[in-house]
Amino acid sequence: MLELIGRFMIIGALAFGGGQAALPLVERLAVADTGWLTPTQFATGVGLSYATPGPVLILAAFIGYHVAAAPGAMAATAAVFAIPVVLAGFAAQLVGKLKNAGWFQAFGRFAAAAAIGLLGVTMAALARPLADIHPGLLVGVAIIFGAALRGVHPIVLIGGATLLGACSSLL
Amino acid sequence: MAHQQIHLTKRPALLAVGWALLRIGAVAFGGLGATLALIERDLVERRGWLEASEVAAALAYTKPLPGSTVVQVVTFLGWRLGGWPGAIVSTIAFLLPAFAIMTLAAAAARALPDAPWVRGALTGLQVAVVGLLAAAMWRLARSEAASVQLTVVLLAAFAAGLFVNAAFVVAAAGTIGIGIDRIERDA
Repeated sequence: MLELIGRFMIIGALAFGGGQAALPLVERLAVADTGWLTPTQFATGVGLSYATPGPVLILAAFIGYHVAAAPGAMAATAAVFAIPVVLAGFAAQLVGKLKNAGWFQAFGRFAAAAAIGLLGVTMAALARPLADIHPGLLVGVAIIFGAALRGVHPIVLIGGATLLGACSSLL
Repeated sequence: MAHQQIHLTKRPALLAVGWALLRIGAVAFGGLGATLALIERDLVERRGWLEASEVAAALAYTKPLPGSTVVQVVTFLGWRLGGWPGAIVSTIAFLLPAFAIMTLAAAAARALPDAPWVRGALTGLQVAVVGLLAAAMWRLARSEAASVQLTVVLLAAFAAGLFVNAAFVVAAAGTIGIGIDRIERDA
């Protein structure tokens, strides 16, 4: 439990570029480093976090639940938002002073760009098992990508793909 | 008296703030942009608790900070509405619906039987998630890493991330950013 809290606090502190950019850190933690979740379970959690209201990092509750049921869900959620929330509170208090901290802005810009690049690694990790099932599934990925960029709502895409997957297994 | 009234409209009761954010949190689908629109419509236009410029400031000041920006915007605005208690109540209220749904969903996901249709559904879900991540990466790259310099950082981080710990890559990129910023300033 302490490991869960500590690791999610670090993710919160390093989540430059927002919640989605932090997904690679979460994947590393929950799948590659600890084996708390299988890649499929992780992808399910990400899908659910897109389909639920609120921040994507509510994924922490999903992972926390897998590690230690409801108390784990609560601990992981509190941990991942703790540092960012305190920082945001101080930002509201210190409005005007932060903007002058050029070194801090530079750190954030570069860290965010790196985090976005790392999304590619996470994508590859999740796409590989799909290609193993059937390379044709990657065409589906491309279709979802195009539809998402054209503004189709994530819930529609997630619901449609899940339904299609369930139906195809019945054929 | 008039002054007091203005003060009152500026500082709503904590309970009212919590209730308003709970309602926003329950329908905040579609990420940062959609949620900002919801906040603006409810807290600025409907309730008149905040100015539109305060929502813009919340975004500008929290974006460079690490963490979920949408949650931080809520915390920032909660602080403006009621100091630290306002910040804490707003944040918890906003997160509560998502937390409850996610915990129930996690319990349901664990209880799924190992049937072919479940495996098929999860594969379909995974296809959607990879596609959505690709779209997120594309959008984020265009908004947060538009310069040549930052595109190089993005690509280098992708390559490094295949071999090195992701947290280390993020921290190292930020540190390099401070160094380059200093050199550019001196030049």
